[in-house]
Amino acid sequence: MIRLSQADHTFIEQIMAEPGGENLLTCWSCGTCAATCLVRRFDSSFNPRLTLHQAGLGLRGLVLSSSEIWQCSACDACYPRCPRQIHISEVMGAIRSVAIREGFHSPGPSALVDEQVCSGCAVCTRVCPYEAIDRVALGEHMVAHVNADKCMHCGICMASCPSGAITLDTFSDTELVSRMFADGWLGQPGYLDGGSTIPRILVFVCQWSVRTDAELQRVYNLGSQVRVVNLPCSGRVDPAMILTALNDGADGVLLAGCQEGECHYKRGTLLGRSKVGLLRALLAQAGIAQERLAFVELGAFDRYVLSGLVQKMLHSIESLVAAAVLE
Amino acid sequence: MDKVKLAVYWAGACGGCDIAIVELGEHLLELAQVADIVFWPCAMDFKLADVEAMSDGYIDITLFNGSIRTDEDLHVAKLLRSRSRALIAFGSCATEGCVPGLSNVRGSDYALERAYLEAPGTENTQGMLPGRASNLPDSLHLPGLRPQVRALQDVVTVDAFVRGCPPNYEQVWKAINQLLTEGLPRSGERLLGVDPRSLCDQCPRVRIGKIRVPRFKRIHEAIPDSEQCFLEQGFICAGPATHAGCSAACIKANMPCRGCYGPPEGVRDQGSAILDAVVAGFAGQNDAAIQEALASIVDPIGTFYRYSYAVSLLNQLAEHRNAQPEAVAVHAEPKR
Repeated sequence: MIRLSQADHTFIEQIMAEPGGENLLTCWSCGTCAATCLVRRFDSSFNPRLTLHQAGLGLRGLVLSSSEIWQCSACDACYPRCPRQIHISEVMGAIRSVAIREGFHSPGPSALVDEQVCSGCAVCTRVCPYEAIDRVALGEHMVAHVNADKCMHCGICMASCPSGAITLDTFSDTELVSRMFADGWLGQPGYLDGGSTIPRILVFVCQWSVRTDAELQRVYNLGSQVRVVNLPCSGRVDPAMILTALNDGADGVLLAGCQEGECHYKRGTLLGRSKVGLLRALLAQAGIAQERLAFVELGAFDRYVLSGLVQKMLHSIESLVAAAVLE
Repeated sequence: MDKVKLAVYWAGACGGCDIAIVELGEHLLELAQVADIVFWPCAMDFKLADVEAMSDGYIDITLFNGSIRTDEDLHVAKLLRSRSRALIAFGSCATEGCVPGLSNVRGSDYALERAYLEAPGTENTQGMLPGRASNLPDSLHLPGLRPQVRALQDVVTVDAFVRGCPPNYEQVWKAINQLLTEGLPRSGERLLGVDPRSLCDQCPRVRIGKIRVPRFKRIHEAIPDSEQCFLEQGFICAGPATHAGCSAACIKANMPCRGCYGPPEGVRDQGSAILDAVVAGFAGQNDAAIQEALASIVDPIGTFYRYSYAVSLLNQLAEHRNAQPEAVAVHAEPKR
C-alpha cells in the first residue's frame, strides 16, 4: 500500500537536480514504456511506469530499496515511443545516482576481475557499454576494477578480455562450452567432414533479440540438427568458441543478435557483428567457406524469422557439398 | 662436477634466435664454465653425423629453434629428441610456427611459386622450381618442403618453451639459468624466461581507457605518438593478447606489439584474443561504420596470427577442410 504520508518532496527535487532527472514529473503514467520494455519478458515485476510514478510521488524508501531501479539497461526501446519524450533510462540513472549517494547498491551480479592475471590493458574499460570499469593501482600494477553498481552483467567484458581475467557467474565460458558439447553434440565429425549425414549448425542466440518463446520453439523443433546456446548478448560471443565449434563438428555457426539500434546493452550487437565480420574475413583468407558463419539480426517486430534463417544456412551448407561434388 | 652438455639447433628459421644466444656476450664465458657445447651448427663446426653417433640421452639440454619446414627439420627434431634429456623449443618458430607458419595459408606449392616465379625482383626465365625432394649429383640431397609448417611440439614431445621472435637476450639468460639451477618447469605451460601477465603490464604508455577509434591505421600511414597507447591512437597492437617478457622492446622503439611472445597463459588461440581486443575499441555506432572499421584491417591473418597461425584453431580448421594426409592432433580447447 502506498501511503502519501510517506511522500518526501525533497526526494523529487534530488532526482530532478541530477542530469537526466529533469523530466521526472512530465510522465503521464500511460504505461507505453512498460509495454515496450524488454526486461519484462524475463521479470514481469519490472515496470518503469510504476517506478517513475512512485518516484514522482516522493516515495523515497520504497523507490530506493527496490531492485527495479537497477534493472534498466538503457536499451532505450521505450524512449522513441514515449509520448512525453522522457528519456526514461536517464531518469533511472538519476534515481540510481541518488541511491548510490545514500548507500544503496545494485543487488545484481557483477563481473569479477582476477587481479593476479589482469594486466590493466584497458580493453575492458574501452568495451564496457556502461563505462563501469576503470583501471586502479594495485601495488606496482594497474588492474581493472568493476563498479558493481554500474555493471549490467552483459558479459561483454568477459568475452573481450584477452587474458581471460574476467568472470561472471552466469554465462561463464565453462557453462557455454559445456552447453555446446552437451550430449556429444560436438566432438564428432560433421556433415562437411563426411561424418554426419545431415548438416548441423550451432546457433548462438542473444536472449533479448528473441521476443517470444514461440520463436525459439520453432528453432528447437528443427531437432538435433541445431544446437541452441543462449547468450546474454551477441557481444558475449568469443571467437575462439566459434572456431572450436567449427573444428569439433559443427558445419555452421549462426549468431543471432538485436537489430542495429535495438541492442539491450547499447553496443553489444555491434560487437557481435564485428567479431563475426572479422572472423568471416579470416575464414575467407584461410580458404574456408564463409557460408559456415553468419550474423543475423532480429528486429523488435520480427516474428518467426529465426527458424527460417537457420534453415537457410542448413541449405547453403548442403549446397556447399553439392558444389564440391560437381567440381 | 661434470659439465652440462648443451646443443643448439636451427631448423626452419631466420637465424635471429642464434643471434639472441650470441647476444648473451660475456655471459657466454660464464656459460662455458659450466657447459660444454656439443652441437651448434650456426656458430661452431659440428656435423649431423656427430649427433647421429651420440647415444640416446647424451645431450643434457637442446635449445631447438626454427619451425619444422623441411623433411630434414623433421628428421633432426626426432634425432635431437632421442639424443636429448631436455628438449627446449626456443623462439617463436619452434614454439608456434611464427612467420614461416603463415605459408600454411596458401600451402607449400604456392610458397615455392611465389618465391621462385612471382616475387618482384625474381628473374627465372626458365621457370625452374626446386623439387619437393631432389637428389643432386655428387650425392647432395636437397630436403623437400613439408606440406604444412609445424611447431616443434606438434612433431615431438617438448619439455619447455622459450618464446619470442627472437627471445629477448636477458630472458634467454634467465631461462638458461633456470634450467641449470632449477631444472625443467613441471607445471603450467612450462614457459621459461617470461614475466607474468600480458605485455600491457610492462608497457609504459598512457592508457585513457575510454577512447574508441573509427578505423585502424597501418604503421606506414601515420607517425604514432610515442607516449599514448597504440590502440587508442588507432594502430593495431597485440600487446593485450601477448605474454610479457620482451621488456616492451618494440613499444619503446615506437612500434606496436605484433605478438611474438605468444598468448597469455591459459589462452588457446592468440589470434582470437587479439581480434577481441581490437573489436573492443571500435567507435562505430552503426553497421556502416563497423564495416568501415573492418575494411581498414588489411590482411587479417597476418595481423592477428602473425606468429601463431601454424598452431591456431583457424589453421586446424583450414587443414581439416583440405584433409591433408599428415593430420596431427592439436588440442582443441576454448580460449580459457
